[in-house]
Amino acid sequence: MDTSTVNLILEIFHYLFFLFTFSVITSYVVLSLISVRETIEYRKKNSFVNYKDILSSTISPSITIIAPAYNESLNIVENVRSLLSNHYVNYDVVIVNDGSKDDSLEKLITAFDLEKIEFIINEKIKTQPLRSGVFKSKNPAFEKLMVVDKENGGKADALNLGLNISKSKYVACIDVDCLLLEDALQKMIKPFLEETEAKVIATGGVIRIANSCKIKGGKLIEVNLPKNLLVQAQILEYLRTFLLGRMAWSRLNGLLVISGAFGIFDKNIAIEVGGYDTNTVGEDMEIIVRMRRHMEEIGEKYKVSYIPDPLCWTEAPESYKIFISQRNRWTRGTIETLRKHRKIGFNPKYGIFGLISYPYWLIFERLAPLIEVIGIIYFVVLLILKQVRWEYALSFLLLSYLFSILFSIVALYSEELTYHQYKKKGTGFKLILLSAIEPFILHPVILYSAIRGNIDYYFNKTIKWGEMERTGLSSSSSS
Amino acid sequence: MNKCKIVLAEDNSTLSLLLKFRLEREGHELLMAKDGKMAIELIENHSPDLILTDIMMPFISGLEVISHVRNKLETQVPIIVFSSAGQEEMVLKAFSLGANDFMGKPFSPNELVIRVNRLLA
Amino acid sequence: MTTYQYLIDYYRELPFLIKLIGALITLSVILIIGLTIYLKGIRRYQRKKHADILKFKSEYEVMLVEFLYADDHIENEVEKNSFNEWLEQIEVEPAIQDELDDTIKDLSPIQQSIISKLRKEALVKSKRKIIISILYKLMEEVSGEMSDSIKVLYIETGLIDYALKKINNTEWSIKAKSIGELSRFEVKEGHYEVVKCMDHSNKEVRKEAHLYMVNLFQFDGLYFLNELKTPLSEWDQIQILEILQRFDDQQICDIRPWLKSTNDTVVLFGLKLAQIYNQYEINDTLIELLSHKSKSIRVCVIEVLTHLYGLEAKDMLKANFNELSLEEQLSFFTMLEKLVIPSDEPFIEKHLFHKDFEIQLLALKILKSINEDKYKVLNNLPADQKSKAMLQLENTI
Repeated sequence: MDTSTVNLILEIFHYLFFLFTFSVITSYVVLSLISVRETIEYRKKNSFVNYKDILSSTISPSITIIAPAYNESLNIVENVRSLLSNHYVNYDVVIVNDGSKDDSLEKLITAFDLEKIEFIINEKIKTQPLRSGVFKSKNPAFEKLMVVDKENGGKADALNLGLNISKSKYVACIDVDCLLLEDALQKMIKPFLEETEAKVIATGGVIRIANSCKIKGGKLIEVNLPKNLLVQAQILEYLRTFLLGRMAWSRLNGLLVISGAFGIFDKNIAIEVGGYDTNTVGEDMEIIVRMRRHMEEIGEKYKVSYIPDPLCWTEAPESYKIFISQRNRWTRGTIETLRKHRKIGFNPKYGIFGLISYPYWLIFERLAPLIEVIGIIYFVVLLILKQVRWEYALSFLLLSYLFSILFSIVALYSEELTYHQYKKKGTGFKLILLSAIEPFILHPVILYSAIRGNIDYYFNKTIKWGEMERTGLSSSSSS
Repeated sequence: MNKCKIVLAEDNSTLSLLLKFRLEREGHELLMAKDGKMAIELIENHSPDLILTDIMMPFISGLEVISHVRNKLETQVPIIVFSSAGQEEMVLKAFSLGANDFMGKPFSPNELVIRVNRLLA
Repeated sequence: MTTYQYLIDYYRELPFLIKLIGALITLSVILIIGLTIYLKGIRRYQRKKHADILKFKSEYEVMLVEFLYADDHIENEVEKNSFNEWLEQIEVEPAIQDELDDTIKDLSPIQQSIISKLRKEALVKSKRKIIISILYKLMEEVSGEMSDSIKVLYIETGLIDYALKKINNTEWSIKAKSIGELSRFEVKEGHYEVVKCMDHSNKEVRKEAHLYMVNLFQFDGLYFLNELKTPLSEWDQIQILEILQRFDDQQICDIRPWLKSTNDTVVLFGLKLAQIYNQYEINDTLIELLSHKSKSIRVCVIEVLTHLYGLEAKDMLKANFNELSLEEQLSFFTMLEKLVIPSDEPFIEKHLFHKDFEIQLLALKILKSINEDKYKVLNNLPADQKSKAMLQLENTI
């Protein structure tokens, strides 16, 4: 190979990377602008809503909260108590004990005075069989509660059983260890009720990080910024994801993910498409993609909504080990979902969904880590060939670093001007400082986990199956 | 009528103030809580002669306050609950937990005074 | 000087791309620094604003309470009366507007001075917002003479004029908010402006307008449904029904025109009214709706007819059963569960093996309720001749 060919190849690479970086940055700028617009609109709209009416109304539609639990014995009673104290009137709670090996069921039976009842389940979606059966409380104070004990089948399977059991029009699928604020259901149900132009098939909520927050009796008393740097970095990441990214995508009606930790679905459509997929680790993303696909295929106008209010709080991983395995799983979930629904990508038949959402997800979420690794390898090759043009390399690096800070700051602004959860003096500066160091703390680890996820997905099929059991806290997806 | 100690749990500060003013003029002593958590603290520390509580409150609901008073503290101090329109179900629950009377919002403070005095008589 | 010259030359020789990136870097640095400083400012401002709101709020609350209790003689009168006499007194609904005019003349000097103080405070927009929010929230909580006094205060302090002005604002959120305010303080003067907003292009504005009509004119306010072209969202419907249920007078007007509306959402709303207010007399109109073009309306009609014991409809649906959609069939079986008579038995038996599980189950349950013996016979069938529902149900007995 002569030098001119090498140079040409390098040149092409060079321009490809430039193009990629440029489009990443542009997409972020565009998404930020859209989200800012949408946030302002949302705030305006909700400045005079009277939630009291809807919450007290017995005419309001019924909602079933489905919370799968696997070996959650430690906090289960407390968590269920919190789920039962929601202010919405017309709702019930189904706890699906997914073959827990601990004493979760016994604890629930004692705490809520449960007794076994006969209950006919219409098995619209095939699930693992019941184990001890269906339980309800003898105490009328807990009449909203139902506990179902089944053989282990994974989170998706447990959710499917919940779908079969629910008699409500809507289901709220949540992680049992999440803390829901009392007004969560009424705020989340609103998009279903107010939309008249299109059918709302699902509404997603924001996940906020509860580490270091003061929680008493299942209620959030005080919001604090945790000391742990990894958790702090995740807070910033979540703000960016939820306040900038998802807000913008919901505006474009291109939202592909609703966090498994908290989302409300139209039950009939969820069942019609066959419920959650038990063969993927990314069941929360997969079901939305499938529901959207279904709606596109039957040609009905639809919408996936999103509520940016801080309604659901959960514990984020504090150790790198758990964090890496969580992100590894998210990566595999994304790959599986995108592969399963390959047909949608770049297919004009699916409108925005096929032409923008899917490709965006494929290129900027699925392939980005791989492109980054190739970039690093490319750089090393250049180093060896002594071909590095330092003024380009350094200025590019600096620019992308500054941009990442800038986006974090925009997310912080969104938070400050809307929900303003971190009120304590001095926190503002800490958060800004955090945006400067966050790229060094979180990004390398996320990149590493994503690569591990890819390797595990393609070369290590056993892990894929071995990990189906829920691991508690870290299972709340929100990529 | 004797001077009675009343705990008032209500998250609307204006209404609280209004009722405080009104009931103090009747000669009662008012202890104010702006949420259920504070209400329970006040009840435990001051053992009031009457409790007025809203059902919907931040942190701990009025229902939980009633249940705490009747089941944990095991006192029979009279309790009046406030509820908004459409919360019939909640009101029934409040009664089954041991509330003595209820006032549907919006209500007239004068009517409340009459009910308070009747329960304290 | 030479280094300076050198830098300029160096810059000139840089490729265009680098220059562009350089410019972007400079811009980002400036932005980051600027935004950081500004964020600090915002946080400080918000903290101060929050403290101010609390301060002014408690100040105004005291004034308000003082205002509301300044009119002592009315109170004493009430206290003198026995409980029963007093109860009678509140049953008499005052004709609000005239009553208000009288009360204004009766204001005591203390009240007058509070009004003029608040009127001055209300000149500042941020303070005005606080005052309105206090009054607004209190209106939710108190009734009777107290809410009348609040209304007097709202009018006399001139707050009403701000709201009446805002109603013509072109910004939808301001418009919607002002309608909401007028509705809360029951200001009938805005009526003509609000009526124009029934089909407003913004759904929040039109929702507030609908609620205004119902809040102020009760069932009569519903007349806007006659000509409504825009869809009435479920959210809107629930709120209207909630307001209607709050009134003492539950005498509903004729809902038939709405059931015949070309606007499907209005028909659905009419059906909700028919169920809640037990409209037995409109049976014929409901039966006509059984052949409505919208499936969700047809299903809903069956539910309402079930509630209203529509026996005639039951026979019609039964005769027509095979032409119905699955949802309607299911809805019909729910109806049968309530309205079944022994002669329905052959029909039910025919559907014991219906393809839908829910219908199988309902059919079986209904059969059990009218003919226990026959049910037992079925229960003794060998497992392979049973329906899915039979297999499931046998475990529960």
